[in-house]
Amino acid sequence: MVGGKNILAMNREGFARMSFLLQKLAAGLVLATSMSAYAAAQDSMTIGLLVPTSGSEATYGQDMANAAELALEEINAAGGVLGQQVSTIVGDDACDPQQSVNAASKLASSGVVGVVGGYCSGATLPTLKIFADAKIPFVIAAANSTQLIPANSGNAFMINSTGNDQVARALEYFNSKGVNTIALVDQGDAYSQDLANLTRQRWEESGKTVATSETVNKGEQDYSAVVTSIRSANPDAVFWTAYYADGGLLIRQLRQAGYQGIIAVGDGSNSPELFNIAGSSAEGVIAFSNPTAEFLPNAKAFVDSYTAKFGHAPGPYAPLTYDGTKLLASAIEEAGSTDPAAITEALKGAEFTEGLAGDISFTDENTLARSNFIVLEGKGGAWALAE
Amino acid sequence: MALTDLVLQQLVNGLVLGSFYALVALGYTMVFGVVKLLNFAHGEVYMVGGFAGFVVLSVVSGALGSGWTAVAFSMVLAMIGVGFLGVVIQRIAYQPMLSAPRLSILITALAVSLVLQNSILGATGGRYVPFGADLGFGGINLGNLFISHNQIILVGTAGVLMLSLELFISRTQYGRAMRAVSIDKDMCRLMGIDVNRVIAVTFFLGSGLAAAAGTMAGAYYGSLWYFMGFLIGLKAFTAAVIGGIGSIPGAMLGGLILGLLESFGTMIPGVGSAWKDVFSFSILILVLVFKPTGLLGKSEQERM
Repeated sequence: MVGGKNILAMNREGFARMSFLLQKLAAGLVLATSMSAYAAAQDSMTIGLLVPTSGSEATYGQDMANAAELALEEINAAGGVLGQQVSTIVGDDACDPQQSVNAASKLASSGVVGVVGGYCSGATLPTLKIFADAKIPFVIAAANSTQLIPANSGNAFMINSTGNDQVARALEYFNSKGVNTIALVDQGDAYSQDLANLTRQRWEESGKTVATSETVNKGEQDYSAVVTSIRSANPDAVFWTAYYADGGLLIRQLRQAGYQGIIAVGDGSNSPELFNIAGSSAEGVIAFSNPTAEFLPNAKAFVDSYTAKFGHAPGPYAPLTYDGTKLLASAIEEAGSTDPAAITEALKGAEFTEGLAGDISFTDENTLARSNFIVLEGKGGAWALAE
Repeated sequence: MALTDLVLQQLVNGLVLGSFYALVALGYTMVFGVVKLLNFAHGEVYMVGGFAGFVVLSVVSGALGSGWTAVAFSMVLAMIGVGFLGVVIQRIAYQPMLSAPRLSILITALAVSLVLQNSILGATGGRYVPFGADLGFGGINLGNLFISHNQIILVGTAGVLMLSLELFISRTQYGRAMRAVSIDKDMCRLMGIDVNRVIAVTFFLGSGLAAAAGTMAGAYYGSLWYFMGFLIGLKAFTAAVIGGIGSIPGAMLGGLILGLLESFGTMIPGVGSAWKDVFSFSILILVLVFKPTGLLGKSEQERM
């Protein structure tokens, strides 16, 4: 026992010494990068990247940073922006509201002409004020909470669709298939109920009928009673707004009971796991999803060069970050100077058509003017882009 | 769909759901009757039974295919295997606690439940496992009413299992011994009954029935998950209480009643599926208020 304690104590001491060393090292590094950024800001242009490169979301953040780097590489190869080469500086927000404030302040004080990034909505929210005070244009690539909209003082632009847009895309799809009545099924939690309520509201506003609204218990295996209610209401389409686990069971039981209408699921259910659970019943099921590279027809070349450069396929928010970086570059080009007000003005009026994830233009609230949600269909046990 | 069709369809749904509840409730009620233990690990035994059936099925599917024959075979082997697992759990976890305060053994049961759940979580990585049975979608259409062949087989199998259990309890020597042990353990020892053996048989049967339900659930619903035993364990316990815990016909009745209540609970106008549990648990409260021992339970008198 005594020996064990000694080892523990030594270890702890060792750790303390090591972390002290690490701190010194980190401080030195930060100093070095910010100094080089100052130096860079004078003879070339720097764009800030606000992404989590540490913490639980680090893989997504690194992925976004990679995508931005790739975009700038292409821009620089084509002569840069306003004749200058563009470099990047990364601010690690760690998906944490406090650390994101530090990261944003660091970016703001390094003289960046604009910032791209924002993955976690919670960590992005407090940075809006910092970038607004420093008058830095901010292209928010991934974060899409509707809470960001009122906090925006006009210099931030959201290029990912919000939850409202999912409903818009869903209704558009249902209308295109001639659907008149729908059944909504949620799981009793905030996310799925919000989506169901919003869908019901919009659907009824457009003069159509919600045949039935049902709620199932998470973790229950038998949904036959709800399935019977749905079959007796006989809607043209069933919209499952919750997650894949219970969704898979519901889909299977709906098809087993002989329901033949459209079955659609929200973005909580577009996991490949759905096919494990629902089996062959998931064939033809429709899912709404944020744009991921594998389903974007224009992203083929992007996926190839990304994979060649970084050794793995791009993650879910890489295309949007790539688009955001190019959008910012084109806005600077259009503004004709690095004056923040001019860039913001150019972004407001942007008609960006080179996006991997589709065209970008903004509403009065600086949110994406269209829904970027894509429609997927279950085919042969995997998701494929629906026509 | 006309109202009569709707009612009949919900009746079928309720019978299927109730059969699962009843099979699992039997294990609760038998164990409670014999050792006065609320075996909260029983839902997990159902879940492990499903996975045991899955393992057997994946081994035999080459020779037997993946239809009902193979599922039936897997079910029988899973019942035997998980039956022995039940006996092992009893020997390791519950036997040393039998003379300890009631609360200690209850907590042991919760611990066993966590051990089983986390073992399967570790083995599957928390993912859903497709069961791999291919039972087809066929069935009988009576106007708007649809009864699948699977539902008929399932309810039939549950019925046969419950009938066999009833015959075992009422007609065999072990059954008689079980009934005797549930009344007075010490007297049974004096009469030369091997009480520990009777307890082992009780756990074997209870766990076996749960495994049968687990395998059938896997085949019928199509996938398995490490957490699938939690809710059904809770519901089956409720069913056992409605029927009168300790009473075997009570567990069967309670299971069917709860299944039917849940199905018809979705039909109440203006209330809908979000409130079906409120409906069925209100009935539970009413039953307990007016008949605290459950529908078929006997009131127990403590004798000095």
